[in-house]
Amino acid sequence: MTPDPLLIVKDLKVYFDTDQGMAKAVDGVSFRVGQGETVCLVGESGCGKTVSALSILGLLPQPPAQIAGGKVFFKGRDLLELEQKDLREVRGREISMVFQEPMTSLNPVFTIGHQIEEVITTHEGVDQIESRQRIIRLLNDVGIASPEERMQDYPHNLSGGQRQRVMIAMALACSPELIIADEPTTALDVTIQAQILNLFKELQEDRGMAILQITHDLSVVAGVADRIYVMYAGIMVEEGSVWQIFREPCHPYTMGLLESLPGRRAKGQDLATIPGAVPDPANKPPGCPFHPRCRYVQESCRVQFPEMCDFSDRHLARCPIMYAKRKVQSA
Amino acid sequence: MQDSGSEHTLSTEALDLPARQTRLQEFWAQLRKNRLALIGLVIFVLFFIVAVTGMVLTTGTSPQLDSSLVRLQEKLRPPLSRPNLKSLQADEVPVLGIYLLGTDELGRDVFARMLQGAWVSLTVGFVAVGIAVLIGIILGGLSGYYGHSPVRVAQVFIAVLVVLVVTNWSRLSFKTLAVLISITVALAVFLLFSRKKEFGGPLFLLNTQLFSVDMLITGLIDIMLCFPSFFLILTVVALLPASIYNIMIVIGLTSWMGAARFVRAEFLSLREQDFVTAARALGVSDWRIIFRHMVPNAIAPVLVSATIGIAGAILTEAGLSFLGFGVPPPHATWGNILSDGKNYLFDAPWLTIIPGVAILVVVLSFNLFGEGLRDILNPKLRERH
Ligand SMILES: Nc1ncnc2c1ncn2[C@@H]1O[C@H](COP(=O)(O)OP(=O)(O)OP(=O)(O)O)[C@@H](O)[C@H]1O
Ligand SMILES: [Mg+2]
Repeated sequence: MTPDPLLIVKDLKVYFDTDQGMAKAVDGVSFRVGQGETVCLVGESGCGKTVSALSILGLLPQPPAQIAGGKVFFKGRDLLELEQKDLREVRGREISMVFQEPMTSLNPVFTIGHQIEEVITTHEGVDQIESRQRIIRLLNDVGIASPEERMQDYPHNLSGGQRQRVMIAMALACSPELIIADEPTTALDVTIQAQILNLFKELQEDRGMAILQITHDLSVVAGVADRIYVMYAGIMVEEGSVWQIFREPCHPYTMGLLESLPGRRAKGQDLATIPGAVPDPANKPPGCPFHPRCRYVQESCRVQFPEMCDFSDRHLARCPIMYAKRKVQSA
Repeated sequence: MQDSGSEHTLSTEALDLPARQTRLQEFWAQLRKNRLALIGLVIFVLFFIVAVTGMVLTTGTSPQLDSSLVRLQEKLRPPLSRPNLKSLQADEVPVLGIYLLGTDELGRDVFARMLQGAWVSLTVGFVAVGIAVLIGIILGGLSGYYGHSPVRVAQVFIAVLVVLVVTNWSRLSFKTLAVLISITVALAVFLLFSRKKEFGGPLFLLNTQLFSVDMLITGLIDIMLCFPSFFLILTVVALLPASIYNIMIVIGLTSWMGAARFVRAEFLSLREQDFVTAARALGVSDWRIIFRHMVPNAIAPVLVSATIGIAGAILTEAGLSFLGFGVPPPHATWGNILSDGKNYLFDAPWLTIIPGVAILVVVLSFNLFGEGLRDILNPKLRERH
């Protein structure tokens, strides 16, 4: 029943060689994205979402970063093993990426038409007229009014939301099968956020590409995701469907995230927060990385790195303590 | 044309749409607001025209001399004086009918010599700065973009071997050449395949990282900056046969460090910019990113330093000619007109004042234009006007 996974990330490890020592920014992350699915990667700032995404496309500068292990299969090929030349073919054509900061992700000295055209001509030999038509159609598709005029504009003539639409048009230019959207709405205000998320949804319905949405905001995820992966300090702590994650979160970290969403509490009450801060990736606590902030912490958490436990149908969480509790409850 | 009917008409209509303000128009509008830069540009354009017309008008092989003049006093004639029509052939009379800027100690028309010198100054300025900027962009760009990449022992060996082979090409026997070349090829092959697999033992030494590309290039820049450049130029010019081309090349080769530093600094910051990562994420190649995305962003400060550098090169050439190391006679340059004229400072002050003022005005106009350019190209500085 489930479609063939398009992207399989298996136990990806990315370390940074820093002055403070080896920063294990991503330390064993696994997830899969099926054809035409929207998969969300959720986690606090600094937990390694961007690093995971960049390493899928081989975009991390490789002296400071090093891929310490893992596999990234895209349509059966391991992207981590590819030569630069072949990897460039994949980028933009089969997988493309939309970044967090629309203000700085476009080159200030070229018109947006020129920048979209560059993506098209990099991957496909098309003539000027055809690429022009495609640019106009793309800008139309991403909801930019009067594209013929707009394509002559420089990025500074556009608002943040419009720029993000242009970035999406660039990402779509060669009809990739997977779009990685790294917090595409974080820098935008709430109404624009909703518009952009809707745009992704519409485009997906039209074109059927898969989307890997990266975000730190669980409320963004609820409406769009088929499957959610929750990350904490470079590891995956919980995965499941939207329903499973929102109805019965199994990892204490996910519970904390959900409780800290505004609107979950009665009016007048303070928002719940998770005490403490994300551990320094160069200096993680032994055992479960979340244990210093966990309210269910037990002795074993401080020494033993937790296993992924299978709670129900494809709903996994990295917390044996909760697993034991649930077992007792249901028995 | 016919098969894609309506959509095609749509796009051709779009092609004819009136363009919004292009970058050039915007640039022009900004320039008009900046008076000093505009004055600089006007003088610069005038200078350019003068230099080009000068080259066309002064095409004779030798100067036209009035053979009837014998004494120095007769030869040194002040500006606006008339030529001696009795003793001159019709084609020896200056085009304007008068010696506009007087004549020098040999009775040569100073106006004609200034025109000829303008062309020399212009080419020296542009070619020298062109060389400097080219080297600066390439080296600065390499060290800014590939700065982290290590240089391995094997690469150093290859470089040394290549230099050996190239410089001793004719002197080495066939056997040694063959050995050297095959070692080089073997090292290159080793480098190609040693990236992924580990080599043990002595071969591993070849793969050790010596220093980074950045360290190599900044080191070179620092070494070059240690030499007082004017004396470096003097030394080199004294060793080489005096010619206008050697001067251009030498000035260019000793003044690229500023441009290289600019470009390196710009690239270091541009490399981390989101739009560079975004372009890479969409499959744009490294070379295209460097030349199409980063260079246009880094070019503004380089352009500014280049305009100011042209002024510097003109001054340097004038200084060299003044000291007698510059362009050899009979070629006229502003520097050697000035230097010849200094002997007659009191008898014929125009011989020093005219080239002096010309150098001053041109250098000043380049500087003004350069500074204006900096304000115009940098949107943050632009706000202040
Ligand atoms: N170039 C680098 N050198 C050293 N450490 C780095 C580098 N890039 C990222 N890191 C580290 O990797 C960790 C993960 O960073 P990452 O950018 O993936 O976070 P993120 O989850 O995307 O956060 P955000 O939501 O703020 O974008 C951080 O702790 C950061 O310090
Ligand atoms: Mg991020």
